[in-house]
Amino acid sequence: MSLQNLSIRRKLILITMLTSSIALLLSSASFLIYDLISFRHLLTEDLTTQAEIIGYNSAAAMAFKDEPAATATLSALMVKGDIVAAVLYSPDGNMFAQYFRNDKTLPAILPSRSQEKGYRFEGRYLEVWHDVTLNGERLGTLFLQSDMRQWSTRAKRYAGICFVFVLISGFLAFLVSSKLQKVISGPIVHLEDTMRMVSAHKNYEVRAVKAYADEIGSLIDGFNTMLSDIQNRDTALRGANDELQTRTRELEEEISHRKEAQDELLKAKYVAEEASRAKSTFLANMSHELRTPLNAIIGYSEMLEEEAHDSATVETVQDLQKIKSAGRHLLALINDVLDLSKIEAGKMSLHLETFEVSGMIEEIVTTLQPAIEKNSNTLWVHLAQDVGMMQADITKVRQILFNLLSNACKFTDHGTISVDVDQSTEQGQGWLRFRVTDTGIGISAKQKENLFQEFVQADTSIARKYGGTGLGLAITHRFVQLMKGRIGVESEPGLGSTFTVHIPAQVKLEAVGPIQAEGDSDANFEIKTGRDTILVIDDDVAVRELMSRFLGKLGFNVLTVASGEEGLRLAKQVRPVLITLDVVMPGCDGWSVLTKLKADSELSKIPVIMVTIVDNEPRGLDLGASNYLIKPVDRERLAVLIEKHRLNRFKTVTGTNTAPMSRLSHGQKRREGDAEVSGRESHAKNLTSRR
Amino acid sequence: MPKILLVEDNEMNRDMLSRRLQRRGYSIVIAHDGEQALSLASTEMPDLILMDISLPVMDGCEVTRRLKADRRTRHIPVIALTAHALVTDRVKAMNAGCDDYDTKPVEFVRLSDKIHNCLLEKKAL
Repeated sequence: MSLQNLSIRRKLILITMLTSSIALLLSSASFLIYDLISFRHLLTEDLTTQAEIIGYNSAAAMAFKDEPAATATLSALMVKGDIVAAVLYSPDGNMFAQYFRNDKTLPAILPSRSQEKGYRFEGRYLEVWHDVTLNGERLGTLFLQSDMRQWSTRAKRYAGICFVFVLISGFLAFLVSSKLQKVISGPIVHLEDTMRMVSAHKNYEVRAVKAYADEIGSLIDGFNTMLSDIQNRDTALRGANDELQTRTRELEEEISHRKEAQDELLKAKYVAEEASRAKSTFLANMSHELRTPLNAIIGYSEMLEEEAHDSATVETVQDLQKIKSAGRHLLALINDVLDLSKIEAGKMSLHLETFEVSGMIEEIVTTLQPAIEKNSNTLWVHLAQDVGMMQADITKVRQILFNLLSNACKFTDHGTISVDVDQSTEQGQGWLRFRVTDTGIGISAKQKENLFQEFVQADTSIARKYGGTGLGLAITHRFVQLMKGRIGVESEPGLGSTFTVHIPAQVKLEAVGPIQAEGDSDANFEIKTGRDTILVIDDDVAVRELMSRFLGKLGFNVLTVASGEEGLRLAKQVRPVLITLDVVMPGCDGWSVLTKLKADSELSKIPVIMVTIVDNEPRGLDLGASNYLIKPVDRERLAVLIEKHRLNRFKTVTGTNTAPMSRLSHGQKRREGDAEVSGRESHAKNLTSRR
Repeated sequence: MPKILLVEDNEMNRDMLSRRLQRRGYSIVIAHDGEQALSLASTEMPDLILMDISLPVMDGCEVTRRLKADRRTRHIPVIALTAHALVTDRVKAMNAGCDDYDTKPVEFVRLSDKIHNCLLEKKAL
């Protein structure tokens, strides 16, 4: 363990002891040195004094060359334990007398000749040279040698005392510092313990106790403050965490609730869809069942009417006409109900084509002529100059206007009905506006609210007075919606009404929305009305080019593909109006392409003209081809066939879904108008009589 | 006097249509079902066939398909009569090779126009 990593307590003790020991040692050492130096000085003086005394005492002996006396004088030094040797030299430098405390040491250390007076330290010995004089005459030289025994003894003793002192004071310093270091280390250790407790048990409620108001005191204060902060945050965090968990639980519950609700909704939706499907099927069947007897009623009454013209009375003809018109009316109602149920089931689709607005208006006016004349109304038609062609579902546009005009005729007596058509541009889109204005009974504000709802007539008395199902405007409204148009009405009771219909000049299929649920997967495919698409499937590039050029001249978009697979794929994607198909192709041959086309419910209605060198017409027709041409192709014949299919398609398309019925109702309404003349006349009569 | 083969299983419709067509000066041959229609078409060689599509056993589409597959009867124009309000029936009829169609209940004026047109076209060919 290095010094730095010692505990604070040990560090403090160590520092205290080191400091005190160093101070003590230094002071002891300086004291010792000073004492030893001054003691040596004293010893030197003492030895010099002895040399003087002995020199004086032995001066007579020297003068008389009395060696024994000199030796006796020197022997008196025996009492001085530290004198090792004493020698008297004659003035010529030879030894005259000598004394040795221990004879053995003599030869080694004794200088053989006298030297200058004075003192010097030779190793462990102090030597003093002194001139022996008598009455100013130098008689010889005295040499004294001391081993400074006292000095070394004193030094040893002093060192011993110092050592003991240092030991004792060290021990005392240890005791004192051990006690006193607690003042510093105590709070730190306490802080450390507190900190350990906090981190080990995550217990933020403990606090360190502040002992003194020193730096450590403020450190503890800071620590406690920090701890409180942490505790507060911890509490807040715990609270937030609890809340989060509660919320999560709530959310989970909510999610499972929603899921259940969603499942139930899905179930309900499924049930509703099933019910709706069942309803549609029921309606379709029902309408069929209703039509069959109606067919007989209308047919027989027509037949009888024809026969009655020749033979029977006028009354019979009129009665038969009444039966017939009632039957027609019933048929129109059935058609309306079926239309509406189709719209509701999302099965009403749009069949777009480009047509001339004026032609359509003219047709409607002709059809409605009897209805207009019936109540002695006058019809004004005004078409703006710029109204030309529009792209829409002509059958539906026709029915919209027909319904509005029929209503106008129905609710107006001896008045004016006008049709205004003009064109405008809003946000880059062309719109056609049809306004049907009458001077009839009008509609009150309250009646307007439910005007476009099914089975709701302006009020029940109207049903009694004017008849009708109340479906006309609802169907009109739905048709307008289908074409992304809008319809509005302005009216003053008693003064008349104005119905305004806006329909895009270019109705787009993709704008139809839920109607595409009918099964058109490629909602993005925009039908180009002026140019229909023909798909040519042939592996021979020359044929493809010829057909492309030829059919292009006839006014079609031509798509050519070299393989059966590609042809099938494109047919699905593009839905061409017609397909020409080769038989001998690599991979999927013409027979199998034809089989697949006819097996696909969506493609089976596309007419296929086989164009091939294989002479197997029965097989082609059996598999469902419309026509069979053998190469080289007779273009004239191909053109005729295509034109025929185009016409058929036109019938089919206009007929699809709504058209036949609309056409029927169309025609029937015309007659209905006739019939209503008689029906209404009675109403009119009633009215006049009431008046 | 043009000869029309009327294929219809419903007695009332059959009676009514045949009587009215006769009044218009057509001679009428009647078939109750598809089998009979096929045999009458080849023996009587009518100028036109009025074909009800919803026939029992063999439906009108199938009968038409067979007529159109037979070299002897292929040239005879067929007008389909579809009672169903469903589009698919009409498409099916046209795909089977019918030359025209009309819906039931029959609007007689329109139907006789169609018959007239078909016969004119046939004559032109």
